[in-house]
Amino acid sequence: VSAAPSQFPPPVDSAAEFVGAPIDAEDERIEVGVAIVGGGQAGMACAIRLMQLLEDDPEMAERLGEVPVAVIEKGRVAGAHQLSGGVMNPSAIRTLLPEDDSWPHWGEVERETVYFMLNRKRAVPLKPTPPPFRNHGNYVVSVAELNRWLAEKAEEAGAYILAETVGAKLLVDERSGDEASGRGRSRVVGVRTGDKGRDKNGGEKGNFEPGSDVIARATVLAEGCWGHLTGAAMKALDLAPSDPQVWALGVKEVWEIPKPFEKIVHTLGWPLRGGAKWREFGGSWIYGMNREGEAPKVSLGFVTGLDYTDARFSVHDVLQEFKLHPLVRKILADGKRVAWGAKAIPEGGYWALPKLHAPGMVIAGDAGGMVNVPRLKGIHYAIESGRMAAETIYRQLKAGSTDFSSYESSVLESKIGKELYESRNMKQPFAKGLIVGGAITNAMVLTKGRFPGGHWVTHRDAEAPLTLDSKRHERYPKPDGKYTFDKLSGVFLTGNATRDDAPSHIRIERKVPRAVAEGWAWMCPAGVYEVPEDAPEEGFVDLIVNPSNCVQCGAITAKGGRLTPPEGGDGPVYQIT
Amino acid sequence: MSGILVYALQYEGAFNKNSLGAVSEGAKLAGELGTECHAIVIGEGISDELAAQLGNYGATKVYRVEGPEGLAQPVVDAMAAAIEAGGHEYALFGGGLLGFEIGAGLAARLDGGVCMEVTNVRVEDGKLVAERPILQDSQISSVHYRSNLGVIIGRLNAFEARESGGTATVEDLNVEFRPHSLKAKMIQRGEQRGANVNIEDADILVAGGRGLGKAEGFEELEQLAGALGGAVAATRAVVDAGWYSYSAQIGQTGKTVAPKLYLAAGISGAIQHKVGMQASENIVAINKDSNAPIFEFSDLGIVGDLHKIVPKLTEAVKAKRGS
Repeated sequence: VSAAPSQFPPPVDSAAEFVGAPIDAEDERIEVGVAIVGGGQAGMACAIRLMQLLEDDPEMAERLGEVPVAVIEKGRVAGAHQLSGGVMNPSAIRTLLPEDDSWPHWGEVERETVYFMLNRKRAVPLKPTPPPFRNHGNYVVSVAELNRWLAEKAEEAGAYILAETVGAKLLVDERSGDEASGRGRSRVVGVRTGDKGRDKNGGEKGNFEPGSDVIARATVLAEGCWGHLTGAAMKALDLAPSDPQVWALGVKEVWEIPKPFEKIVHTLGWPLRGGAKWREFGGSWIYGMNREGEAPKVSLGFVTGLDYTDARFSVHDVLQEFKLHPLVRKILADGKRVAWGAKAIPEGGYWALPKLHAPGMVIAGDAGGMVNVPRLKGIHYAIESGRMAAETIYRQLKAGSTDFSSYESSVLESKIGKELYESRNMKQPFAKGLIVGGAITNAMVLTKGRFPGGHWVTHRDAEAPLTLDSKRHERYPKPDGKYTFDKLSGVFLTGNATRDDAPSHIRIERKVPRAVAEGWAWMCPAGVYEVPEDAPEEGFVDLIVNPSNCVQCGAITAKGGRLTPPEGGDGPVYQIT
Repeated sequence: MSGILVYALQYEGAFNKNSLGAVSEGAKLAGELGTECHAIVIGEGISDELAAQLGNYGATKVYRVEGPEGLAQPVVDAMAAAIEAGGHEYALFGGGLLGFEIGAGLAARLDGGVCMEVTNVRVEDGKLVAERPILQDSQISSVHYRSNLGVIIGRLNAFEARESGGTATVEDLNVEFRPHSLKAKMIQRGEQRGANVNIEDADILVAGGRGLGKAEGFEELEQLAGALGGAVAATRAVVDAGWYSYSAQIGQTGKTVAPKLYLAAGISGAIQHKVGMQASENIVAINKDSNAPIFEFSDLGIVGDLHKIVPKLTEAVKAKRGS
């Protein structure tokens, strides 16, 4: 009774549907200098650096027109869709803004422990702290908050932030297409924004507003972990990496606690099962968040690679189970949950880096898979790659060129490329199970990647067959609404008020074997997918989809569906995640 | 003189419940301010008797305006004329979309301040302060008015109608409507399925969720609602599934209700639903899952098969009422 989601692909041809020529009449197009899709850390860093360069070069600023830099952000505000575990290496933000250290943080990391959780009662600290988990000098942050701060800096510097606006379609200039190959030669000329005010069936409501063609000399795809346009561009413009991207899913809570928790903790082991059969690769974090004048908080969450094989595996419920451990209970005692959220994390590392440029376009940050998995760090890569994208774009546009290939070489030659190469075989060993895999990756970090050498190949998450032969779900605690919670109360805390009568933004095959349907239902932390109560125990079921619960985590794209952006402004409004 | 002017919506000889609530609230506030509460009613051929009914809810004077009813712009003209004549400091509306539209137009016309979705109004230093829930009802924001006119638009069911036994004088007000105000015409008043009783006005609601199993399950609920003299409501899940109309949807992205009795059949009680009905006086839940969250905030919980319980309950109610 096992089945892989990849056998039931979503009804979408993203290269054809999400990449195309402009359609607005020429005098109705919006012209900007540089269009940045996604107002996360990469996008904002890129906007800030561009405006810094243009400030010193008024002539070039003039050439880029009235709107030299526009950031297209689908959330209600910049930061609304931002979530991370929350330890940042400060090097990149210091390079970007050397004279401004007022960025918001929740304390410098001074003490840290890694525990191996033996079972639901016992845990042993790993000493000395394994090399990848050493975080001295790093800072606890909330990216939802950091991003609002970066957005202010970008606006002060003169960038335009178009919030509640979706980058729906990548615009290419077909005249420069290569007839012979048919693909790969188009120049990217901007982005078409999403329509607003459509009804469930796609019809136009009374308040319908069509999207617009935003024409840009350079387009930056900084869409984050699941790039709608990035995914389409990889197909249409031949940018796909040598290995497919793979993802993990993280579910996070923020708690207010009576007494400050002044350290950071990572855990491995329980409640994950170590057997190679289950491929449960991941762990938890617990970070104290302390700032003068504010109630002490703690950020905690659970992350698991999405190539697991148990259809009843649910990261949200595993986090609830994890909270029952005495080690966690002690930290959260007498506290109150104040935030919840979820996000996918690209974990493919070096071999899954796509080609980072096409004529007229670059890819930055998580959209390009720039996450250091063993060190659990991506924020500084996002900021650093956004900054490098800005420098290449400025230099090339000044020279009258839209060839941004030197951006890719500068990324690969920087710390980002070097560190990702060192950890290139990080994830693959875990197919051998947690203990053996852990030993190999520790050796890898210590030897800077010389062991294990070569190229270990990965497979798409959606190709992992899902099985129904475990009763894992019976271990999940029943939510009590005070300490353990159901999925929907989390969705409520995110401030998500996605319009019910909007067209579904989730493309998915709805008639699938029970194992696949249950797999999606358990996986989704927001309760988007449901198996009908009267569905047969075996065979195909008709999946129920509730798109308005979606918090845009992106896991479904990894696990065999295809997320597209909802209407601009929909989705969560994260504050402190 | 100062005072409070309340818009009273009427249709086919009956006042809207929320409008009557707004008149009562206006009268109470006027008492505290030491001023008067006036009402204004617009329609074609409104009888003295109908207009004077508003006295029973605390209005001391009722302006009667001959004009089209149910459209916003003519009411803006009429209320602007009444305020010019009467010098009212506040305009008050009960809940409803029409009130939003008129209130916004009036504030723009007279350069007033406006606050909508108001759940409470209080008197502070001889002025009115409107209270409005924000951030998904987790906080209350207090809105003070600096302008000469303060427009206060209530949330549905925020103000309760109370009969005061008072009387009002009826004064005809001639209003010269602006040309653009008469451009819109009422072509048709539509009623949606299940909306023949407005769920926000109903004292008794019978609500159905996915536990009904299929769209036909609502027929059982309609019979029960009919026997109880109430209306039928629905969860987002079943509206999404097309089992019932959106106008009956309760919850975060639907309507917020506070009936005297809320009977939830086959509803699990996720927080998104709870926020739309938690203010109900009595909550009765029927669900076959004894772990359903709804039992945690029900006054009475019944664990069982609703398809067996609901028809029996309907019969019992009918027998009791002798019909």
